[in-house]
Amino acid sequence: MFDYFLQQLIFALAIGAIYGLIALGYTMVYGVMRLINFAHGEFFMLGPYVYTFVFSGLVGLGGLAPMLDSALAIVASFVIIGLLGVTIERFAYRPLRAYGRLAPMLSALGMSIVLQSAVRVTVGPQPVHFPAIVASEPIAALGGMVTTMQLGILAAAILLMVGLTLFVNGTRLGIWIRAASESWTTSSLLGIRVNRAVSLVFFIGPGLGAMAGIMYASYYGIMQPTMGSVIGLKAFTAAILGGIGSIPGAMLGGFLLGAIEVFGTAFLPILSGGLIGTEYRDVFAFAVLILVLLFKPAGLLGETISEETTVAKKDY
Amino acid sequence: MTRTRVILSAAALLLASSALPAVADDIVLGGSAPMSGAQAEFGQSQIDGAQIYFDQLNEKGGIKGNNIVFKALDDRADPRQGTLVAQQFCDDSTVIGVIGHMNSGVTMPALDIYSECGMAQVVPATNPELMRMGFETVVRPVANDFVQGALPAKYVTETLGLKKAVLVHDKTVFGQGIAGVFKDNFEAGGGEIAGTFGANPEDVDFSALIASIKLENPDVVYMGAGMPQLALFLKQMREQSLQAQFIGPDIGFTVDFITQAGAASAEGALMTFQLPPYDSSPELRDFSERHQARFGRAPGPYASLGFANAQVMAAAVEKAETLDREGVLAQLHGVTVDTLLGPVAFDENGENTTASMYLYVVKDGKFELVK
Repeated sequence: MFDYFLQQLIFALAIGAIYGLIALGYTMVYGVMRLINFAHGEFFMLGPYVYTFVFSGLVGLGGLAPMLDSALAIVASFVIIGLLGVTIERFAYRPLRAYGRLAPMLSALGMSIVLQSAVRVTVGPQPVHFPAIVASEPIAALGGMVTTMQLGILAAAILLMVGLTLFVNGTRLGIWIRAASESWTTSSLLGIRVNRAVSLVFFIGPGLGAMAGIMYASYYGIMQPTMGSVIGLKAFTAAILGGIGSIPGAMLGGFLLGAIEVFGTAFLPILSGGLIGTEYRDVFAFAVLILVLLFKPAGLLGETISEETTVAKKDY
Repeated sequence: MTRTRVILSAAALLLASSALPAVADDIVLGGSAPMSGAQAEFGQSQIDGAQIYFDQLNEKGGIKGNNIVFKALDDRADPRQGTLVAQQFCDDSTVIGVIGHMNSGVTMPALDIYSECGMAQVVPATNPELMRMGFETVVRPVANDFVQGALPAKYVTETLGLKKAVLVHDKTVFGQGIAGVFKDNFEAGGGEIAGTFGANPEDVDFSALIASIKLENPDVVYMGAGMPQLALFLKQMREQSLQAQFIGPDIGFTVDFITQAGAASAEGALMTFQLPPYDSSPELRDFSERHQARFGRAPGPYASLGFANAQVMAAAVEKAETLDREGVLAQLHGVTVDTLLGPVAFDENGENTTASMYLYVVKDGKFELVK
């Protein structure tokens, strides 16, 4: 049984890492702008499409070593989708800032439909095979089996998360982001260009989402225009579970949601003696979410929002 | 004065435009299937197949000297769109018969509409329930899902001698239904079902599910689900080195299944399909060549079914005493016809008495008929 548990833990970590990476985008945007960016799931979906486009472009031009082509295409996807995020914020969200929270949120919903339909129309609605970036070799470990792909995803996700934490906590640009998320007015009085902080967040968030998308497509071997919808909702859930606005919270929430889902599937039938089947996974996962929120409404690592901060945020 | 004139000229225009699409003695038949979206490959192939048969008839002078016009509309595999299409066919008084729809979920709500307007309907959808709802305007030449679930169950228990199976389904009417049919037949053949596992229709991660299936150590995994889930499940199953025999239903009978699962993982997978391969008889080879000549591409997965359905519909029209909906409907159930896919005759429910089902295995990256 312990082997079985370990095996499931590996699956939980791999899918949780992906949830966590996407959740970061939701939480960072929310932290700085108090906006739920519903278009975020589409950046995740665009990741593998842009990667494929750049990669086949490079190969078409003669190409370098295959690994180098991949690496270049990955970096290019991050940058292209990051810039797309910045552009969308500039033209679809910023002009609406003065009109309360509902207008930008609706704008984000609309943006999500625009991006998804655009891919559906230009590339086609059918799922497309996505060749694995790293060969998926199984390795026997501790009685279970782990593939190089899962290890790669876990390593890359943790690397990105550590990098982001160092960036936000240790650099000058990171100070902008943290300052803007505490109070726009005070930050701008102290000479911080709040709009730059917002643009920065809208570069990093979608970029990370795109990375998660590439890992996901590579892990499962397909990409399709609708893939961002369900997983975007799950990552959003993960962000709330961990405490929306909190960066470590998003990572924790991602891993936790992955674990709840996987262990729900793995142990529900065993623990209930076959009475409750695997089809109850989502019922279980979301019941846990509601329970957590009942006891910790701000999420696991979320700060309790005081009256003072709420007032300060109102001027956005 | 002016108003009367406007109304009069509008009425004249309406008359003129309604007379335009079909000349007085054209026979108009409708066809509907998904021609856009993820299932377009399957839907379009049916429409193309039917078109080839009607072209062929027209070359020989049509039916009783009347030219046949085949009017194909896209239902996008969407039940809401399907009912709109059905209403459109009903409202067009020139349409005297319809071939459609491809999806059971689309056909079900549309049945009522066609039956209201007395439209004869040849149905390509496979859900067993469709023919047991009491509608007398429908016939189905293709085999239903009872046959589709029974064939592989018989094959694995009798020919391969495998006795322990696990069922996976996606909780949809189709997926859960066909998994249930497989279960009944598998148990009747002396097999044992070690467990039934449900997943969501949009799931792409089955790793946890597969790990718990591994605990049961089954010989056979039967999956009632759609694409790409069939391919993803098989891929992840082989990655976890679960070597059980994989079996899936007709939706997986596409090249995408093999590319998305990977040729190595797909090797040996069994898949049921309602149609024989295009090189299995001289008639089918001939059909294949005509398709190539007419459309410039090889026939798609359901093209021969489209052709056979058109043959059934044309036979009913041929026998009709009057060339209208009542005339065709009166003949529909009694039709017996030798189609491209074999002889067709209908029982009291409108089911084909001799519908075939075929079992395919993936071999060297291609589907091959299991003899």
